[in-house]
Amino acid sequence: MLAAMTPQDITKLILRVALKDRAAFDALYRQTSAKLFGVCLRVLADRTEAEEALQEVYVKVWTRADRFAASELSPISWLVAVARNHAIDRLRTRRPNRASFEEALELADPAPDPETLAVSGGEMASVERCLGELEADRAAAVRGAYVGGDSYAELAARFGVPLNTMRTWLRRSLIRLRECLER
Amino acid sequence: MNPADDDMPGQEGGDDLLAAEYVLGALPADERAAAARRIEADPAFARLVDAWEARLSPMASGYGEAEPPASVKQALDRRLFGAAERTSKRGAVWNSLFFWRGLATAAIAALLLVIAILAMAPPIAQITGDRLVASLSAEGSDVHYFVVYDPRTAQIGLSHVSGARGAGRDFELWVIEGKQPPASLGVIPAGSNVRLRVADALRRKIESGAVFAISLEPAGGSPTGQPTGPVVATGDLKTI
Repeated sequence: MLAAMTPQDITKLILRVALKDRAAFDALYRQTSAKLFGVCLRVLADRTEAEEALQEVYVKVWTRADRFAASELSPISWLVAVARNHAIDRLRTRRPNRASFEEALELADPAPDPETLAVSGGEMASVERCLGELEADRAAAVRGAYVGGDSYAELAARFGVPLNTMRTWLRRSLIRLRECLER
Repeated sequence: MNPADDDMPGQEGGDDLLAAEYVLGALPADERAAAARRIEADPAFARLVDAWEARLSPMASGYGEAEPPASVKQALDRRLFGAAERTSKRGAVWNSLFFWRGLATAAIAALLLVIAILAMAPPIAQITGDRLVASLSAEGSDVHYFVVYDPRTAQIGLSHVSGARGAGRDFELWVIEGKQPPASLGVIPAGSNVRLRVADALRRKIESGAVFAISLEPAGGSPTGQPTGPVVATGDLKTI
C-alpha cells in the first residue's frame, strides 16, 4: 500500500494536512495507518491500547503537521517518530499489565517488509553496519529499546546486569553509533 | 572511545547524549517527560533530538505493518471533527478553496505584479509568537514549497514539494512587505527539508504579515540584490 506512494507524495499529504486539508488527512491515514499501527502494536503489545494510541497519534499529526517542515526527517521517519514516541510515552506511564515479551513478538512482529518503508538502502546499511560494530548484547539492547520500547529497567533484568550498568552500556553504545555514523 | 567515560557520570555527554537517550526511548517516565518539555521549550535541544531521530530511524524498518480496524478512523474523525461532521463537506470545500485561491490568483510572472496586488491586500497577521506557514506556488510553474517560520528561533523551514531549479540556477527566497522592494532571505539550499536563518532586520517584516516569493536566479543568487529571474512561487503567511 505504502509502496504505491513515493516519499514525495507523503510529503505533499503532510503539508496539505498542515494547511488543515481534511481530504489529505484521510489519504494520509489510508496510506500510513498500517505502518503506524504496527509501531503502536509492537511497542504497546496490547491491541486495545494500540488502537487508542493510534488515534492519539493521528490527532498529533493533524495538529502538529507544520512541524514536519522544520524537521530534517523523511516523511515516513517523521510519522514513525511521532507514533513511536507517543507509544513509548504511554508505555512509560502505565506499566503493570504489559503482555509478555513473547506475546508481543507474536502479536506484532511480522517480518519487516523492506518494500514498504521509505528508508533508503544506504541509510539502512550504515546503521546496520554500526550496530554490527557493537558487542552483540549491546546491539540487541539498543534494538530492544528502540524498536520494542524497552526501558532501562526491563533491559537490565533481561540481560542480568544492574540498572546503572545497562544505562552506561546504552549511553556508550549511542556515542559509538554516532562516531561510526559520522565516519 | 574515550577512556574518560569509563565511569560515565550522569552528566557525561550533556544535551546531545540526553537527546540520544530520549530518541532511544529507554528513559524512565519522569526523565522522559522532562526531555519532552525541553523539546518544546528549547529549539537547540529539539534540533539535537531531530538529528538523533534521523540517525536511528533506519531501525524503524523493524516494524511490520498491521491494518487497524475501521472503528479507529471513525473514532478519530469524531474526535477531531465531531461537531463539524455534518458540515464537513462544506468545510472541506472551504478549506480547499482557501488553499487553492492562493494558487489561482498567483498567475504571476513578475514581482512587479505581486507588489501591485500587495498594495491592495489587507493587513494580515498580528504578532502572536505563533508559527506562520505559507504554501508557495504559482500557476504555470511546478515549483512548490511549504514554508514554516518560527519566530522563537528566527528560522524558516522549507519543505520542497516539487519543481527543479535546473543546472547552474538557484531558487532565492524573498520577503515582500507592502509596497517596499523585495528583501532577500537568501538562496534556498538544495534538499527536501532545509532551513534559512532570518536576519534580525527581516524578522519584523515577516512577523508583520508579509508575502514570500521565490525567484529563479543564477547560481549563488541574484547579483543585483533584487530578483532578476522569473517568480516561480508566491504565497502569503498565515498564523496557525
